[in-house]
Amino acid sequence: MTKRRMFLRMITASLLRRRSRMLIALLSIGIGATILAGLVTIYVDVPRQMGAQFRSYGANMLLLPKDGETLNGESLAEALKAIPEDALVGAAPYRYVRLDMTTRQQSFPAAGTDFDEITKTSPYFSVEGEYPGESGQVLVGKEIADTVGVKPGSTMKLTYQPSGSASDKTPEESRVPGAALSGKAEGFGGGIVYVSAELDEEMKIASLSVDASTQTPEYGGQVPENEAFLGQFIGKALPLTLNEDVDALTGATVTSSAVVDALNKATEAAVSAQPKTQNFTVTGILTTGGEEEGYVFLSLRDMEAMTGEDKLDVAELSVSAGVDQLEAYAEAITENSGSVRARLVKRVARSEASVLEKLTALVFLVTLVVLLLTMICVSTTMMAVVSERRREIGLRKALGASDGAIRAEFLGEGLFLGLLGGVMGAVLGFAFAQAVSVNVFGSSITFQPLLLPAAILVSMAIAAASCLLPIKRAVAIDPAIVLKGE
Amino acid sequence: MAVKAESIAKRYFRKTGGANYFYAVQPVSLEIAAGEIAVLTGRSGSGKTTLLHMLSGLLKPTEGKVRIDETDLYSLDDRALSRLRSERIGVVPQGRSAIDTLTVLENILLPAKLYGRPLPVEGARQWMERLGIAPLGDARPAELSGGELRRMAIVRALAQSPDLLFADEPTGDLDDENTRLVLSAFQAYAHEQKKAVFVVTHENDALQYADTVYQMDGGRILDR
Repeated sequence: MTKRRMFLRMITASLLRRRSRMLIALLSIGIGATILAGLVTIYVDVPRQMGAQFRSYGANMLLLPKDGETLNGESLAEALKAIPEDALVGAAPYRYVRLDMTTRQQSFPAAGTDFDEITKTSPYFSVEGEYPGESGQVLVGKEIADTVGVKPGSTMKLTYQPSGSASDKTPEESRVPGAALSGKAEGFGGGIVYVSAELDEEMKIASLSVDASTQTPEYGGQVPENEAFLGQFIGKALPLTLNEDVDALTGATVTSSAVVDALNKATEAAVSAQPKTQNFTVTGILTTGGEEEGYVFLSLRDMEAMTGEDKLDVAELSVSAGVDQLEAYAEAITENSGSVRARLVKRVARSEASVLEKLTALVFLVTLVVLLLTMICVSTTMMAVVSERRREIGLRKALGASDGAIRAEFLGEGLFLGLLGGVMGAVLGFAFAQAVSVNVFGSSITFQPLLLPAAILVSMAIAAASCLLPIKRAVAIDPAIVLKGE
Repeated sequence: MAVKAESIAKRYFRKTGGANYFYAVQPVSLEIAAGEIAVLTGRSGSGKTTLLHMLSGLLKPTEGKVRIDETDLYSLDDRALSRLRSERIGVVPQGRSAIDTLTVLENILLPAKLYGRPLPVEGARQWMERLGIAPLGDARPAELSGGELRRMAIVRALAQSPDLLFADEPTGDLDDENTRLVLSAFQAYAHEQKKAVFVVTHENDALQYADTVYQMDGGRILDR
């Protein structure tokens, strides 16, 4: 039998011989390690868990356009690159306009948004019915729904009135024949060419007049007088292409091109200034207890079709991170993006950080107390074992065992207990953390592979530390006194 | 190899009767040479065991020195002293001295095992045979009688072939026949193998096996 095998044999024999005592020591280490591993798992997971919980209280960062810049889908996507994917819970874009419901003589604010993202950034939204899933559907705030009397399944005819279009005209009126178009474009030498035209019933050009007084009199200046050139436009629908739909006036190509450009621009402006009306199906009624109840929500695509603009007013972000990290993200976005600036919703971010801090401190404190109790329990048990084995220890010493050998044996016992307790603790601790997580936070946690070696190491260290005093006692045993007389 | 005590004494503090200490062993000088068997007798509490412990390296005297050959025993550190005790000194302690988790043979081989030395299995078998416990090698201490345990402890001390053998009341649990067996074994060990043997006993039978007899009373060695 080698010395090492002998050592192991002594330790296991000693542990087995004092089964009940060792079971108590093992249990206390095991329970200590279980709570330790469990709490550490939760401790590591708390920020994530609580972060996710906090995220249900709404957005903690806003993205806004910089002064004079435009926020749109493209610049938003670019700005979001500054935030790691796993930290970004959701990013809901918003475009706000007023929409009219002419049948009810009502007008109310509307928001174009991404409903998938809304469920992430504002999980507290309560919807009776469903979120819109496709184009032509809207989510209506409860306040509006009550005012205009709609419910899921109802149809709403909504009109977008572009600013700048005559507000006194109804959409139907601005489409009547005889509507005039007027426009301008840069001609030869930077001079402005003005056009005005009238449209017939089929929206084709009925008459056209041109003011080319800024152009060279013998070339471009001839355009307003040239019946053949102007005659080409009559009866044609806009927009036009020079040299396809109409030919340029010889010697006045630039001015001819300016006339076509001015007409096309005028048409475009007229079209975009047209109020847009569309029928929407109500899929759900939104209750939030907040001002969102006074809004109609439609998809960004529908909003773009209504307004003809790819533009956002704000994006609400829900980011799972501490205040410092949030600030870093915000700074990075504002610095790196040409058109977007980020702002923290500080009230939310700060209160999150403070609650997290308190929670982690509590977990730390409980862990400390549990470890202390474990140490006391193991130490007491080992002390009793040393007392029981006084005579045996004395005998070993008398037979030549050095203090180091006695130390090694008890330390070996302690480390062995720590090893078993650590394995037990890692497994049970994970189960404990899982149970807590599921019951308290309502989500499961992933097993941290580092937990096993960490729990074993800590348990062994705790067990070894608990053995220090008993070992001191064992080493202090005087063989002469123990072997005397009994 | 001889053991030599140079005015060793053991003094304990005790606050009674004027003085605040008393001598368990008064200063004493003696020498046990290789090939000699010395027997120490005396009444209970006379200091015999204390003297034996001091001579065998288990108890540091408060005065004087113990030399083994030229080595001052108590000037060694714990490690060196432990090793020396394990390699050169055999001790048969008083009373029961078995480790219950090991078998009888393992108990006997324990001192060698502690330091990973070659196990003196052959020597152990021979001594077990001689002292009548040969069949008990695989038994557990709990299964042995008091006399058998005592002989196990004696075999444990002898099997290592120590230069110095110290036995504290080795015949306490033994019947007359086994007492003779053990004492003659000690005598033979001293004489034939030229080892120093020191036996503490209150058994008068032991005296006839002794080369030297010491008598102790009140912590003092009396004149022979």
